[in-house]
Amino acid sequence: MTNGRTVTVSVGGKEIPAGVGERLGALLSESGLLAGDSFAMPCGGHGRCGKCRVKVTGEVSPLTGRERAVLSEAEIAEGVRLACLTSVTGDCAVTPCEAGGQSQIRADGSLPPFTLHPTFSRVGAALDIGTTTLAARLYDPAGRLLAEVTELNPESAWGADVISRMEACLAGHAEQIAHTIRSAADEMLSRMAAEAGIGTREIDAMVITGNTVMLHLLSGDDVEPMTHAPFHANRLYGEFVKAGEIGLDALAPETPVYLPPCAAAFVGADISTALLASGICRSEKTAVLVDIGTNGEMMLWHRGTLHATSTAAGPAFEGAGISMGMGGRAGAVDRVKVREGELSAHVIGDAAPVGICGSGLVDAVACLLETEALDETGYLEDDPAMIADPVCLTQDDIRQVQLAKSAIHAGMRTLLSAAGVDCAEVEELYVAGGFGSYLDILNAVAIGLLPEELGDRVRILGNAALAGASMLLLAGDLRGECERRAREVEMVALASNPVFASEYMERMMF
Amino acid sequence: MSTELLNEISENLQRGKAKVVKQLVEQAVAEGIAPAVILNEGLLSGMNVIGEKFKTNEVYVPEVLVAARAMNMGVGVLKPLLAEEGVKAKGKVCIGTVQGDLHDIGKNLVKLMFEGKGLEVVDLGTDVSPDTFVQTAIEQNCQIIACSALLTTTMGVMEEVVKKAEAAGIRDKVRIMIGGAPVDDAYCQKIGADAYTPDAASAADKAVELCRELAGDVA
Repeated sequence: MTNGRTVTVSVGGKEIPAGVGERLGALLSESGLLAGDSFAMPCGGHGRCGKCRVKVTGEVSPLTGRERAVLSEAEIAEGVRLACLTSVTGDCAVTPCEAGGQSQIRADGSLPPFTLHPTFSRVGAALDIGTTTLAARLYDPAGRLLAEVTELNPESAWGADVISRMEACLAGHAEQIAHTIRSAADEMLSRMAAEAGIGTREIDAMVITGNTVMLHLLSGDDVEPMTHAPFHANRLYGEFVKAGEIGLDALAPETPVYLPPCAAAFVGADISTALLASGICRSEKTAVLVDIGTNGEMMLWHRGTLHATSTAAGPAFEGAGISMGMGGRAGAVDRVKVREGELSAHVIGDAAPVGICGSGLVDAVACLLETEALDETGYLEDDPAMIADPVCLTQDDIRQVQLAKSAIHAGMRTLLSAAGVDCAEVEELYVAGGFGSYLDILNAVAIGLLPEELGDRVRILGNAALAGASMLLLAGDLRGECERRAREVEMVALASNPVFASEYMERMMF
Repeated sequence: MSTELLNEISENLQRGKAKVVKQLVEQAVAEGIAPAVILNEGLLSGMNVIGEKFKTNEVYVPEVLVAARAMNMGVGVLKPLLAEEGVKAKGKVCIGTVQGDLHDIGKNLVKLMFEGKGLEVVDLGTDVSPDTFVQTAIEQNCQIIACSALLTTTMGVMEEVVKKAEAAGIRDKVRIMIGGAPVDDAYCQKIGADAYTPDAASAADKAVELCRELAGDVA
């Protein structure tokens, strides 16, 4: 991609030669000049994770839409860019973004600044039990990340959604489910310990976050009241238990395990910890936090009050319920673009396409709208629509997307309306969760998954639930704030809410 | 002339033009077209087209809702006239989402399709107990009880409805229909309900058929 002309890039004061058109990301990785700083490209240079933030002055390619989505306005004003998306067009200078003060976490850019008050003296573990995915980290008391692992949640053997898993509990499988998730957690702890070169018994504190149902399944608590209206949860946590009590055999039985607070049956500890990581309650700004999953949990911070709701989006964006849907694995179409009127797809792992994952689905629908193969009512001109041979979307797939995106969008507007906030008043929209990290924001707005007013103020958080759990582990004094928020949050019920009913219909259109 | 006007009513209804439909219905009445003809050949025939398109996935929930809203505007004009003429509904249905379940989108859609077929509907809302279904059917002389559930954990209530109806001794007069994502035909047979339909439009067709059968039985 270079045109032969050589220019000079100054990296933290050192000058290196570069070809015009060369990507800063590749240049910086190869030079190794920022290796000790906050620079990293864990997403492989796709502009997804935002961890390759650098400050740039001089001649470089213009800001991309993806960067506008990931970077804050303040960062843009300061000249912050994502190195992976920025090309050199002439002489320029690059400096690392500050990794923050001394007591801040550097291992993961997604943790906001906070002061270390570790709840452990040797090694701490944080685990997020997602309905679909498990993710865990080990930290040392200085806040350094020692190991990180992810795993699919083996509870899926009892169904993809929380309702079918609770039903399995009622059918007498509760013990088996508890055993399965505990073994999976033990196994992750062992793998991380091995990676960090320690024994699991050296782990002397743990935080486990997850939605209310996930924490019930782990603890072996009765889920029955959560299976039907009025959806009451027997236990809302926000308390310490001992590893032995919840059957974590990898840890010493007396090891304290903190289970963060849930606000309600369908507004769980995962959104409580994501809230902490988002830091929205520490700002004067009106902000929304949304975790787009099978259950779209969302919170609004406005003038010192926190409002929350959850909406049943269904598993379309997790790849389920879509004829050729799949998770974000090799062979999944994860990006689709329109090139000269034709759809052009990117496939994970440079493999032959075999299915489509959530981010690909959002892109594909946006592209079909752009090429007018799909009209605003969701009618597909030619059914099925080919995305990347043999991967296609059927009319029924489109209907599933309409249901899912409209549940999220309408949920958000209903939450705002209940708090008396106009959508345009929202200054920041934080998107958490695995699917959210890979989402193309412009396309998410184009298909009406997110409100159009907020398209230019979206911040991608990644796994904020785990980030928040890590913060609770590393700063015990944050527990109080976390528990207070969960207790004081104003719940907005969507069922039988007339605003939701009408928004839900309206947002089903494209 | 009258066919043209009726077609116009049907087409505007399909496009969800509620105000236009209302005006056209008023015009048709003024021109002396019989209210029952306006209802059947204008409004219901338009709703029928939407129902068929919904079945084949050509249109979706929002289009059905706007069409139904337009239909209701038209029906509003005709209602007093139909009553005067003694035009009767094709049957009466009580519908609701079962106890413990608050989902009402699907239920509302079925209700609209029922109305679109000229059935009278008693909407019991969500979280409806088996007793309420059965008592309503008895008190309001409904031929059909239609139960909706969206949760695997609440669909069991449908079986209770069947049992209550049996206990109340109304099973020879009342048909029980079920629908919702977690249920299917096998479940319908297992709990001893009368009909399962996979979508709102088929549910309306089935309800009309069941009402006809019942009328035949009685006659």
